[in-house]
Amino acid sequence: MLIFVVRRLGLMLLSAFVLTFVVFYLTNLPPNLEKLARSEGSVRMTDEAVAQWIIDNGHGGSVLGRYGQWLGVVPGWSNVDEKGVPRGRCFAAGTDPALAPRYCGILQGDWGYSTYFRGPVLPNLGEKLGATGILMLWVMIVMIPTSLLIGILAGMREGSRTDRVLSTFSIATTATPEYVSGVVLVALLASPVTGLSPLLSEWGLIDGKILFQGAASPDRITFWSFTLPVLTIALYGIGYIARMTRASMTEVMTAQYIRTARLKGVGFRQVVLRHALRNALIAPFTVIMLQFPWLLNGVVIVETLFNYKGFGWTLVVAAGNNDINLLLGCSVVAVFVVLVTQLISDIGYVFLNPRIRLS
Amino acid sequence: MTNTNRAAAVHPAATMHAEEFAAGKISRREFLTRTTALGVSAAAAYGLIGLAAPSEAQAQTTGGIVRVAMEVKGTKDPRLADWPQIANVYRGWLEYLIQYNADGTFEGRLLESWEANADATVYTLKVRPGVTWNNGEAFTADDVVRNFARWADGNVEGNAMASRFPGLVDTATKSLREGAVVKVDDMTVQLNMSESDVAVVPNLSDYPAAVVHASFVDGEDPSVNPIGTGPYIPQEVSVGQKAVLVRAPNHTWWGGTAPLDEIHYIDFGTDPSTMVNLAASDEIDANYETTGDFIEQMDALGWKKLEIVTAATIVVRMNSATSDLYKDKAVRQAIQLAVDPKVVLELGYNNLGTTAENHHACPVHPEYAALPPQTFDASKLKPALEAAGLADAEIEIISLDDGFEATTTAAVVAQLKDAGANVKHTVMPGSTFWNDWQKYPFSSTTWNHRPLAVQNMSLAYTSTGSWNETGMANADFDAAMVKALSLADADARREQMVTLETILQDEGYIIQPYWRSLFAHVKEGFNVERHPSNEHQHYKWSKA
Repeated sequence: MLIFVVRRLGLMLLSAFVLTFVVFYLTNLPPNLEKLARSEGSVRMTDEAVAQWIIDNGHGGSVLGRYGQWLGVVPGWSNVDEKGVPRGRCFAAGTDPALAPRYCGILQGDWGYSTYFRGPVLPNLGEKLGATGILMLWVMIVMIPTSLLIGILAGMREGSRTDRVLSTFSIATTATPEYVSGVVLVALLASPVTGLSPLLSEWGLIDGKILFQGAASPDRITFWSFTLPVLTIALYGIGYIARMTRASMTEVMTAQYIRTARLKGVGFRQVVLRHALRNALIAPFTVIMLQFPWLLNGVVIVETLFNYKGFGWTLVVAAGNNDINLLLGCSVVAVFVVLVTQLISDIGYVFLNPRIRLS
Repeated sequence: MTNTNRAAAVHPAATMHAEEFAAGKISRREFLTRTTALGVSAAAAYGLIGLAAPSEAQAQTTGGIVRVAMEVKGTKDPRLADWPQIANVYRGWLEYLIQYNADGTFEGRLLESWEANADATVYTLKVRPGVTWNNGEAFTADDVVRNFARWADGNVEGNAMASRFPGLVDTATKSLREGAVVKVDDMTVQLNMSESDVAVVPNLSDYPAAVVHASFVDGEDPSVNPIGTGPYIPQEVSVGQKAVLVRAPNHTWWGGTAPLDEIHYIDFGTDPSTMVNLAASDEIDANYETTGDFIEQMDALGWKKLEIVTAATIVVRMNSATSDLYKDKAVRQAIQLAVDPKVVLELGYNNLGTTAENHHACPVHPEYAALPPQTFDASKLKPALEAAGLADAEIEIISLDDGFEATTTAAVVAQLKDAGANVKHTVMPGSTFWNDWQKYPFSSTTWNHRPLAVQNMSLAYTSTGSWNETGMANADFDAAMVKALSLADADARREQMVTLETILQDEGYIIQPYWRSLFAHVKEGFNVERHPSNEHQHYKWSKA
């Protein structure tokens, strides 16, 4: 078990290493650096000034060397600008460079400076991750019970009318990507000109002009602003997990021991709750854990659509503005989230199913 | 708040303009722009034509918060600012020497008055007494001189003010010429220009010309140490999220009490449909701008529509410096004349403006000169392209992915396609589009309203203009511009404008289809003003 965990952690570090290098390389391509110079300096800078800006701000030299600086295995850059003020990676402008550490990379716990937020990466990223955490929590609270219930109800009696109706619903929601369902939901429920809101408003059933809000802010989370983003992400997962639960449930319901129990005269209700449920939940558990990486994917779309300032939104603005350190920070977090959830799922699996041995 | 220029010392040209107004030669708006630019106060200018100056809004209540949907781009050194949105945040605590009002007049803010001599080479600026910085220091002539030095510094890359004061700059050192800006006494500054310049007053009122304190570190973010003369200070500036302006504590603002307690800028991205949604769900009280189809939607919500007719425009331009396709003038002219402005105005901007003439001078500008109308003929495009050997060349036109920029560009693309050219429309989100806006071979750029026609023209179409996005370098145009910028009298300048407009139109670089009326919306119960240059003059805002 321990060896397994250690091996997994090693894999995680390796993935983070490879991914961040790829991201670093792409964000450090010359046109991207020019773009950064123009947005940071001024759009009116000449080409020579842009080239100078890139060198002055520590983006000159080899890519490997700069990646090493970010990692913290190569000393951070420093230089003196035209006004004689020393500037560098490891100290703020105006402070004494002699007091600054030589290395200041991710290994030293320094995540760097975000050019978009105009501040250090770590607190900004932490705050945004917190906001996404709240969104994810509500998605899980809505998604897991709903999908398990639908899956179990559908899988209890394969081929029944309930099964057909619920399966159709599940397939429809899984087949609809977030960027479609989100737009449909906004048009239907959160627009003052189309969908249900104008009707409801006309009938006097709602006070405002719209039923739900089409934008959400982490500062002020309400039922009305959070429903649509949560629903958009959850709908996709609900269908998928319900399908898995149904498959697992139908398989269990045809097993020998269930038939035996039924023949011995145990009630249907008892059979489902007592004997089938636990065994049927092993497969959905893995699927739910697998949903975490998918959720990270979903929040990028949903947070952009609903302007919710969380991790996904941060990833989009970091990429859009070529904010190198912020994007690298996002990559590290993404690798960490994906692999940790996979680790938890593997370990949890062992507890649910004693026949499985790790390593 | 009123300007105390002496009526006795009214600039001679002002009296002349008053006669022109009486004779119906110029409109009220043109009259006001011209005379106030010469140092006549708004009140005196209205007096010259026998009208009473409009009084400030009726009794305003003090207190309240207004929430405005606007992109929060983060503040930068004002002279490097490249967006009115950036300025609207620092406008809370940084003020201007002179302000351009929504009615076309110029008003002294940190200056009490100013006077120009007859050929506009010497300006005398009187500093407003009683103005203090919010750290308690008095605002004096030294502050004015220091800011002029900052603005004139051409060695700072991206300094938007550097090219605006050619008469004050030493071309060898690219900085303020010795003796150009002189402190006469504590309250008086004299500008001794080496050449006459009519745009000094409008330039001092433009958004990068905010006046900063002596402790301001060049190039730094002004919100970090917000020392200014204005009534507010920034409580929070979170890029991409929100900016909050609150009353400056322990600061007596020279203008009295600004009505609002706080101004909140909320950034919800650039999607106008999100803005409508926010308005409907009572998340905002006003917006920065309403465009296109969304004007009707906002009207339907019962919000007040604020409209202002301006010289703001969109220019779909070719760039001969970055693309070989557009080096041939005949090709450019054929492309320009294949696009009918009327169609673009209708399809691209819902007829919410007036058609323009492909020369970037608007009838609201005082020096506008009417040229004979152009004849549009799409059938000439194909032969022109063939003659240049570009019959199969792909013409790619780049624009923003949303709003009227996209629809206008699409209307241009469609007309060129109908005329037989191989055209492709590429859209980009705002976050990437603006990084290279001057470089694209063929793209659309929005231009803000400026009070004088020569201002945009000198920035955009002279060979040395800092915002030259066409690669146009026409010696005759440059020479005519130098002359135009030395004529204080708009009528005299108009003769040069004929040359400038004709050359610009003839070069064929730009398709400038229409002038935009600008709109914004505000909820009932708030007094917010729509300004032609998108300026937010917060002290004029209030809650009813």
